[in-house]
Amino acid sequence: MAKFITRRLAHAVLVIIAATFLIYLGLFVLGDPFASSGEKTVPPEIQEALREKFGMNQPFFMQYLTYLQNMFTFDFGIDFEQRRDVGDMLAAAVPATARLAVIAILIEIVIGLTAGVIAAVSQYTFRDVFITIITTLGIGIPVFVIGIGLRAGLSGEWIFPAVPRSFTVETPWWQEIILPAFTLAILDAAFIARLMRGSMLEVLRADYVRTARAKGLSERKVIGKHAFRNSVIPVVTYTGVSLGVLLGGALITETIFEYQGLGFLLVRAIQQHNNPVIVPIVVFAVLTFVVLSTLVDILYAYLDPRIRLH
Amino acid sequence: MRNKSVLLRAAAGLAVASLALTACSQQSNTGTDGDGGGGNEEPSAGYPEVFNDEVTEDGTPGGTFRLGIVEPAAIDPYTAYESEGLLVTDNLFTGLVHTTSSGETVPALATEWSSNDDCSEWTFNLQTGTKFHNGEEVTSASFKRGWERVTAKASASDVAYHFDQIEGYDEMQAGTANQLSGVDASDPAVLKVSLASPSCEFYLRTAHTAFSPVPEVAGPGQNEAYNNQPIGNGPFMMDGPWQHDQGIKLKRFDDYNAGPKAYLDAVEITILVGDDAQQKELDGLNNGQFDWARVPPNQLAVTREKYEPQDGWISKKTFGIDYLQVAVTKPPTDSAKARKAISMAIDRPSIIEGVFDGSRAPATAFVPGGFQDAYQPGVCDACEYNPEEAKKLAEEAGLTEGTELNFQFNTGGGHEQWTAAVKQQLEKNLGLKVNYSGVEFNDMLENQQSPDSAGIYRLSWGADYATPGNFLQPLFSTAAIGTDDPNAPATGDNPGRYSNPEFDDLIKRAAATKDEAERIKLYQQAEQICIGEDLAAIPMFERQQFRAFDSSKWANAGDMDFHENPKLDVIYQK
Amino acid sequence: MTTPPQSGREPDTHVPAEALMTRFEAPEPGAADATDTTGKGKKASGQLRDIWRRYKRNKLAVVGLVVVAFLMILAILQPWITPYDPMEQNLLNTRKPPSDGHWFGTDVLGRDMFSAIIYGVRLAMIVGWSVMFLSLIVGLALGAVAGFRGGALDSLIMRVTDIVLAFPALIGAILVVQIFGNGIWQVVIALAILSWPTAARLMRGSTLSLRESEYVEAARSIGASDTRIVTRHILPNAIAPTLIYSFSHIGVAVVAMASLAFLGIGVPPDIPEWGTMIANAVPSLNVEGESHMWVFPSLAIVVTTLAFAFVADGLRDSIDPKLR
Repeated sequence: MAKFITRRLAHAVLVIIAATFLIYLGLFVLGDPFASSGEKTVPPEIQEALREKFGMNQPFFMQYLTYLQNMFTFDFGIDFEQRRDVGDMLAAAVPATARLAVIAILIEIVIGLTAGVIAAVSQYTFRDVFITIITTLGIGIPVFVIGIGLRAGLSGEWIFPAVPRSFTVETPWWQEIILPAFTLAILDAAFIARLMRGSMLEVLRADYVRTARAKGLSERKVIGKHAFRNSVIPVVTYTGVSLGVLLGGALITETIFEYQGLGFLLVRAIQQHNNPVIVPIVVFAVLTFVVLSTLVDILYAYLDPRIRLH
Repeated sequence: MRNKSVLLRAAAGLAVASLALTACSQQSNTGTDGDGGGGNEEPSAGYPEVFNDEVTEDGTPGGTFRLGIVEPAAIDPYTAYESEGLLVTDNLFTGLVHTTSSGETVPALATEWSSNDDCSEWTFNLQTGTKFHNGEEVTSASFKRGWERVTAKASASDVAYHFDQIEGYDEMQAGTANQLSGVDASDPAVLKVSLASPSCEFYLRTAHTAFSPVPEVAGPGQNEAYNNQPIGNGPFMMDGPWQHDQGIKLKRFDDYNAGPKAYLDAVEITILVGDDAQQKELDGLNNGQFDWARVPPNQLAVTREKYEPQDGWISKKTFGIDYLQVAVTKPPTDSAKARKAISMAIDRPSIIEGVFDGSRAPATAFVPGGFQDAYQPGVCDACEYNPEEAKKLAEEAGLTEGTELNFQFNTGGGHEQWTAAVKQQLEKNLGLKVNYSGVEFNDMLENQQSPDSAGIYRLSWGADYATPGNFLQPLFSTAAIGTDDPNAPATGDNPGRYSNPEFDDLIKRAAATKDEAERIKLYQQAEQICIGEDLAAIPMFERQQFRAFDSSKWANAGDMDFHENPKLDVIYQK
Repeated sequence: MTTPPQSGREPDTHVPAEALMTRFEAPEPGAADATDTTGKGKKASGQLRDIWRRYKRNKLAVVGLVVVAFLMILAILQPWITPYDPMEQNLLNTRKPPSDGHWFGTDVLGRDMFSAIIYGVRLAMIVGWSVMFLSLIVGLALGAVAGFRGGALDSLIMRVTDIVLAFPALIGAILVVQIFGNGIWQVVIALAILSWPTAARLMRGSTLSLRESEYVEAARSIGASDTRIVTRHILPNAIAPTLIYSFSHIGVAVVAMASLAFLGIGVPPDIPEWGTMIANAVPSLNVEGESHMWVFPSLAIVVTTLAFAFVADGLRDSIDPKLR
C-alpha cells in the first residue's frame, strides 16, 4: 500500500511539473506574452517590469525556474488592464469559487445519492424509469444549455436578480449562488445517480447481502448498512475528481451567471489577453485537479480491498 | 431486413422533403419589419437634441445619486483616460481650468492665466487656502508633483502624452530626469510652465484630469492604495476604496472651497458586469435602482417615448466622430478622387435608419458640431450619397470594378453591423472586392501603422480638449505620422500618413495665434484642405449621446458634462 | 476459448479517476445499466449482422441513428437547402421572432436563424467528425504501439497521456487556442489534442490483453511479423472500445466547440455557430419576444448531443454487451 502511495505521488509530481512546463511554454514562449487587447497596448515600462519579474531576460531554463518560483510564492506580478496585483485579484476570487464548488458538491451528493438509491431499490418500476430518463437528460444536455435555460426561466426577484441592484443593497450571498450551483450540480447528480444505481444493484446481488437478508435483518438495515456503504465507493471517487475540476473554476457557469470566481476571471482575462492573470489560474486549475485525482486514487485504493492487496 | 429498408426510405424521404423546402435559388435577405421601410424622404438628421444646461442653484444638501457603469480601467488621475474612470476622477479633483458641457474652458483652481507673445511661457495664478480631502494645502507644488507623477517613466502612464509640449517631458519619459524642468513651482500661489513646443492652446490641455494636483501621500504612479482610493481636492471624496467589480462610493467634501460645494450627500456607482451591462443600466433605471442610465441602441425609441414627456431624456451631440481612417499613400486609396468616390458610395442615412434606429446624424464635416463656432457642416461634400457620381469618380480614379479594397474594424465594440453595411454598399455601388475583417483593437492599430497598410479602417475620435485643433493636428499633421521613413511603422495618430504642407502651415499658425476667433478661422481653413479638398479621412457619423434619468427626483440632471457623464457637482434632490 | 478482454485496470492506469477526468465527457447514458443478459460473449469483429440485430433492439439507439443520419444529410445539403445565405445580414430586420419569411426568426445581425442553425449543423458535423477521426487515428496508433511494444515506449506514451489529461476540460482547449490563434481548424486541433489520450489508453488496454491471447501466440509461432500481428489480429479485435469512445466523443466535441464559441474564444465571432448565437442572445434572455434567439440554438445542441450519445450507447451495447 505504501508503495502504491509513493508511486502515485511521484507520478502526480511528474505530471504537475510537465503540465506547468507546458503552460509556461505555451504562454510565455510560443505566444506573445504581452499581447493585449482593448484600446491600448501594454506600455514598454510595464513590459520591462514584467520581464524583470519573470526573468525573461535570462536564459531559458532560468526563466522557467523563476516562473516556478513566482508561482509557488504567489508572486504573480500585476495585470495588464488595471495594473492591480494579480495575487489580490485571485485572493478575492478563490473563496467565491470554493464556495460554489462546495455547495454544488453538496447538492449533487444529496440529489444523486437519493435518486440512485431509490432507482436501485425499485428497479424497473416507474420510479426507476423516470429517474433514468431524467438522468439521461441531465447528462445529455450540455452544462451551458442548462445554465442559459435556468437563467432565462428562473431569474427573478429572489433567485438570480434579473434587475441589477445598487451594490450597496445587501444581497444575501445564497441568491447569487443558488442557480450556478444547481447548474453545476445537475450533470454530476445525474452521473452520481447512475453510478450509485449500478453499483448498488451489483452489491444487492452479492452474497453477503443475501446472507444478511437470510439472517433476518430488516430490508432497511440491509440497504442502509451494508449495501449503501459498499456501493458508495465509486461515488466518492467521482465526487473527488469533480471537486478537483470545480475548484479550478467553472468557466461556463460562472460566465453565464456573472459569478465572480476564478472561472469568470479567467474568461475575462483571456478575452483581454491579460496574461498575468491567465497563467496563475491555469496553473492552479491543473494543480487542484491533479492533486484531487491523486488523493481520490489513493482513497479508492484504500477502500477497494482488491487493489489494496495488490 | 424490414427495419433497414424503413430507415432507408425515411432517409430518402427526408432528403427529398428538404430539397422541396427551398426555392431553387436562395432568397435574398432583405425583409423589413413592414413599417418605416419605405423610401426615405430626407436624410436623417438624428434625434433632435434635448438637454438643459441651465444650472439652478437653489438646492439643499442631501440625497444619494445612484448609477451604473462598467469596471473602469483606472480612477487615479495619473492614468485615467476613459469615461468610466473619468466620471470618478473629474469629481475627485479640481484642476487649473474646467471645460464646461458646451466646450467652454473656464477658470477652476487657476483664477487667471496668461502667456507671453509666442505662447512659450505660461503663468497660472492659483487660488490660495484650498485643501485636499486630507487637509493638506493645495499649492503649485501639488500640481508639479502630480504632473511629474504622470510623466515619470516608471509610471508607464497612458496619458503622459498630453504633457509632450512641456520642457523636460522627454527627459522624464526617458527616465533621465525625475523632475519636469519646464514647471516652476517656487511660488506656491503661481504655477509657471515653459513649453518646448509653444502652443497658444496649452491652457486647454490643463482641463484634463491628468493635470490634477495630488497630495504628498500619492507617492509614485503605481501605488495600489492611492490607485484604489485617490485623495483629491474636488467637491467629492472617496467613501471607502474602490471595490473592484462591485462599486465605488463617493461622498461630498464638506470643506470644499475651490468652488461651489456639491449638494449631493453621496454617489453610489455600481459596477455592472457582463456583456449586457448597458441593458442593465437601463433596467436599473426603469426599476428605480438607478437614477441615471445610458441607453442601448435598440432601446432608444422606447426609452425616449417613456422619458421625454417626463423631461427625463437627454439627447446631445457631443465632441466626437465615427469615421473611416484611410491609408492615404497606398493604392487604391491614394488619390482624393478615389477616396471621394468611396465616400459618395456610402448611404449613411439608411445605415443610420437600420442600425442606429435613426438616432444619429450623418457627418458632413470632421470637426464636430459641439464646436459651434468652428463647425462647418457640408465641408465634406463627398459625404452626400451619390452612387452615380461615385461610380464616375471611381472610374476616373482607377477604382474600377473588381479592385480590391481592405476594410478592417475592431471587434468587441459593436461595430459589426454598420461596417458590414458599408461593405455591402461599396460592393454594390462600386463593384469593389472588399476584404472585410474584424480584429482585436490593438491588432488593427498595428495594421494601420504598418508600412504595408492599405485600405480603410473603422475608427472614432473624441475630444481630449475643447478645441477643434484637437480634431485636426493629432490626426492629419505630418508630425503626427510619427516617422519619416515610409518603411517604418507610423506610430502617431496619423497612420494614414497624410501630409500636406499647406495644412501643416495653417496648424502651426493656429497654435501660435493668441486670439481664439482668429485661431478658429485658421482651423476652418485647415479643415477645408484636409477634408474638403483631400478627404484624408471619411467622416461617417456624428457622435450623439443619449441618457435617461429620474427627473421626478433630481434637478440639474438634464445635461452631460464634457465627458458625457452626469454633472454630479450641481445635481440636487428636488 | 478466448478470455473476455480486460479493460486494462492496472493500478497505475487507474481508470476510475482518470476516465472521469474530462468534464466534457457526456458519460454514456445507460452505462450503469450494462448487465449482460445475453451472456453470449462472442467476439464482435466480423459479426456485423449480429451487431445490427442487437443494435436494433435498443429503441433509443435507433432513434439516435435516424437523427444522426438526418443531421448528416442537413450538413451535406446545407448550401442547397438553406433559404437564405446564413451569413447575410439585414440590419433593418434584427431580432425578429419567427414569421413566414423567417421560420426561426432573425438574430442580432438580421441573419435568418433557420439558415444559420442549419449552417451550424454543417459546422458541428465537420468539427465533430474531424475531431473524432483525428483523435481516433492518433489514439489507435499510439495506443497500439504502447500496448504491443510495452516497455519504455509504453511508459513514455502513458506519461504523455497523463500530462494531457491533467488539464481540465475547457482549460486545455483554451490554452491551445491561445497559442495557435483563432479559427475553426485551430479549435479542431485543440479538441483533438485533448481527446486522443483516452482513446489511446483504451486501445492500449485492449491491445495489452489481446497481446497474450492464444491466436496471437499461434500467429507468432508460425513466424508472422509484428506488424502483421498487430494489423491483422490485434487491431480488428481491439478497436471496439476505442471506436465506441470516439463516437461518443463527437457530441462532446460539438458541445466543447459551442462552449468555446459562447465564451468568445477560438471561434471567429461572425460565423453562425450555435454557441455564438446563444452568447449573442444573452442580453435578450429576459426580453419579450426574443426567446427564439437562444431557444433554437440550444435545442440544436441538445438534439445533436443526445442523438450521438444514444448511438454511442447503442453501439456499446451491441458490439459487446459485457464491455464497460
